[in-house]
Amino acid sequence: MKPLIITSVLFLIFTIDPVRVFGQSEKLSEIIIDIAEDLASDDSDPESVTTYIEHLQDLAENPVRINSAGEEEITRLFFLTDFQVKALADYSHSTGKIISVFEIVNIPGFNKETVEMMLPFIRLDNNTRIYSDSVRWRNTLITNLSDRPSNDDTSSLGSSLKILSKYKFTAGTFSGGVSVEKDPGEKFLTGIPPLPDFFSANLAYTGKGAIHKIIIGDFSARFGLGTNINTGIRTGLSLTAPGYMSAKNEIRQYTSTDENNFFRGMAAEFSLGNLGVSLLYSRNVSDATLGSLSGSSGGYIESFYMAGLHNTSTLILKKDAVTDVTYGINLLYNFNNIKMGIALSEDRFSLPVIPATNKLEAVFDFTGETNSIYSIYYNSLVKRILLYGELSTNKSFRYAFVQGVSFRPSDRLTINFLYRNYEAGYVSFHGKGPGNSSTTGNEQGILGNFTFEAARHIFISAGCDIQNFSWLRYRCSSPSGGMKQEIRVKFLPAEKVTIEASFAYRVTMIDDAQTIGIPELTEIISRSIKGSARYYLNDNLTFGTRIDFKVVDPSGSRGMLLLQDIVYRFRHVPVTIWFRYCLFKTDDWDSRLYTYENDLLNSFSIPALAGEGSRSYLMAKWEINDKAEIRFKYGITSLKETSYTFENRNEIKFQLKVFF
Amino acid sequence: MSSLLKISVSVLLIFSSLSASGGDPYRPSAGAREAGMGYVCVMKNSFWSSFHNQAALAYNNSYSIGFNYENRFGLKELGTRTAAITIPAWKTSLGAVYSYFGYPDFRREMAGLSCGLKLSDVLAAGVQVDYFSEKTAGEYDNKYQLTCEMGILFHASENIRLGIHIFNPVPKSLVKNNLPSILRVGAGTDLSKTLFAGVEAEMSTRSKLIIRTGFEYEAAKKFWMRGGFSTDNNSFSFGLGYLAKVVSIDLGFSTHEKLGITSSASLIFIIH
Repeated sequence: MKPLIITSVLFLIFTIDPVRVFGQSEKLSEIIIDIAEDLASDDSDPESVTTYIEHLQDLAENPVRINSAGEEEITRLFFLTDFQVKALADYSHSTGKIISVFEIVNIPGFNKETVEMMLPFIRLDNNTRIYSDSVRWRNTLITNLSDRPSNDDTSSLGSSLKILSKYKFTAGTFSGGVSVEKDPGEKFLTGIPPLPDFFSANLAYTGKGAIHKIIIGDFSARFGLGTNINTGIRTGLSLTAPGYMSAKNEIRQYTSTDENNFFRGMAAEFSLGNLGVSLLYSRNVSDATLGSLSGSSGGYIESFYMAGLHNTSTLILKKDAVTDVTYGINLLYNFNNIKMGIALSEDRFSLPVIPATNKLEAVFDFTGETNSIYSIYYNSLVKRILLYGELSTNKSFRYAFVQGVSFRPSDRLTINFLYRNYEAGYVSFHGKGPGNSSTTGNEQGILGNFTFEAARHIFISAGCDIQNFSWLRYRCSSPSGGMKQEIRVKFLPAEKVTIEASFAYRVTMIDDAQTIGIPELTEIISRSIKGSARYYLNDNLTFGTRIDFKVVDPSGSRGMLLLQDIVYRFRHVPVTIWFRYCLFKTDDWDSRLYTYENDLLNSFSIPALAGEGSRSYLMAKWEINDKAEIRFKYGITSLKETSYTFENRNEIKFQLKVFF
Repeated sequence: MSSLLKISVSVLLIFSSLSASGGDPYRPSAGAREAGMGYVCVMKNSFWSSFHNQAALAYNNSYSIGFNYENRFGLKELGTRTAAITIPAWKTSLGAVYSYFGYPDFRREMAGLSCGLKLSDVLAAGVQVDYFSEKTAGEYDNKYQLTCEMGILFHASENIRLGIHIFNPVPKSLVKNNLPSILRVGAGTDLSKTLFAGVEAEMSTRSKLIIRTGFEYEAAKKFWMRGGFSTDNNSFSFGLGYLAKVVSIDLGFSTHEKLGITSSASLIFIIH
């Protein structure tokens, strides 16, 4: 009888009349989704996708007001190139006001594809929230609850419920927030005094004059290209989206829930004519595995624990095990066509770091209590050529070097090259330079890419990244290398239709488990093709279809999926529903496929689909009034166990968002 | 013993000849017109839409009754007999279908009631409730199952149509049944007044991703030629059709890499 009931419900859903305009946040560009999926598949840096999605969600919640924004505000659209930022700022300044997004398409350097990417993150009104004279309190409270009823693991200390609550306020030039989180299996309150497993708070002042910004509490920071300090998004993260490349200084309030990648203390940004100064001081605690020295009462840090999960007694022992004091200063001087900066930072740990010495790959790992880094960087935009670079070194004169060039020979073509050389032994605990590794060290590489508007409705982008790792790495017992190639074609035949296809080729190296003695390296080659089409039937109904096919050699394993999305907004009630039905089949874990899903705010879901089965979800958003919004999501994965039995993995999520 | 052997061979053959039947062996195939186009039909309205995309029924505005016979590889035990009827009713169109596959010792039957509805000038949706039975002689268990399928058809422009169809969508970890879950998505275009071409993707919990492409060409007045290709078993299809006043006659043929040819014949009477 169940199928009949579901049929009836679905049929009723689709026979009710449609009509209001979609919220922009429901129209995420395919390339943004692809980048998120690509980051999710990167095992070496599992937190990068969290950072990326949270940046996007933050941007969607606080969109850039193009008409009241200067160049600096527009750089919050971190996926734009420096050319585009400058062109948009100049255009907005010269015309006074941009009335329609279609106007942006005609700005040199912009096209329909870029504007589609920007849409969820911009507003065209010129209300300046930050600089408003009236001190009006605006508060937002979001609470998310999620559970996996099918997960019957009873070994954890706490309940399987995940709880996240975020409060934010703005009042004139002041803003602040508090975040608390409990992961599945963790106890909600731990320690003495009892506090939520993760607790974060901040208070910020933003001004127009010499004091540009002051943050007290938790914050993130980035200086230059990030080889010294960068707790935000890694640059150069996409082969076919050149906008992520160049340098940017920022300090921002920390609203993420990554428990080990932020500063806790105070940061300030000053602007003195052409000179910009950033200062930071942080005294934060980090998770770590500790060891004890024989014959000594002191301990040492064996390794840092970055996952942030504390659901067993062993993991609780790692929690907040070490104190890290960080100082940083960044000076940036703006000459006519060139910006030059220097940055200094130092980390001091409460215990010495002594990595395991029996692993050859750890020979160049950091040892000691203090790590100092000195950097110099520049950025120069002359007509259609942008040059940027950074050189950082630590006390032992191990260095990290980045040099990039972007040029735009025509308004329809942008070309980028980026070279990086991070010596083994260069370590930055809060840095993240352009590249493929989670750490900025032991990597040399060159990346080249272009984006090209081939015809009025056809956009082509392609890129290649070649990497070398001169010292050993995890699962690589010899110096190794890798390569990524990607080409993407986007076709926008009509206002309501988007068709996209991409081909990606990846080569990675790992130890061959079959060899005796020192393992030889074997190449893992994966080729994947994705095709997707999205059709906006009207303002209320969207269909999306996607096909993925992947082959991994030398095993020859294959993965494939076909999925259908339907997004529907009701005419008479402020309710939007998202429905997905996906069938997938992969030969093994290597050929797994990732699919981005719409989710609650401040939460995301990019499940790795491996095996054989189906994945579907239904999410509903009800905008009760201007003050409150509810979201509910139910997702279910049926995974084939035997010919006639399927394993059930489901999750339920609920969100309440209140504005007051 | 010979009965057991026949049953085993039948099951083996139908499982190894998916493309020749137009999909999963648990899904009865119907329509010689569709067979001739390699079953590229999720976006195309026809009399046999109850088997492919019920949304397309919404565009049927005549009372019709039809019969189809499909034979796989010249074996009479692998024959499928199908009958259907469509009834227009105001904005909706109703359909009833019956299908019989096999022979007395091993047979699969399916009956379904469907409804297609125009939601707007460019959008239609449809749904069908199905009853399946599988009966095997001897001590083997008989199986009876109830499920549903649904589809959407929309006109992206005057001559481009897109179709989506889901069969047995309820996650199998929630409701135990032997039937596969199948998702079909396709797009088709009228390249001219006489030529239609389409492409379709199908994925099921029992098979790999299948891509199909097919065409229909009106070579002379009321005389059609059809062709298609499916990536599953690299199956080619071709077919012919003729409309004689109120009777439509269609023939369809599909090749299988190893097993031979599957042939289909349909007869449809347009009552009014």
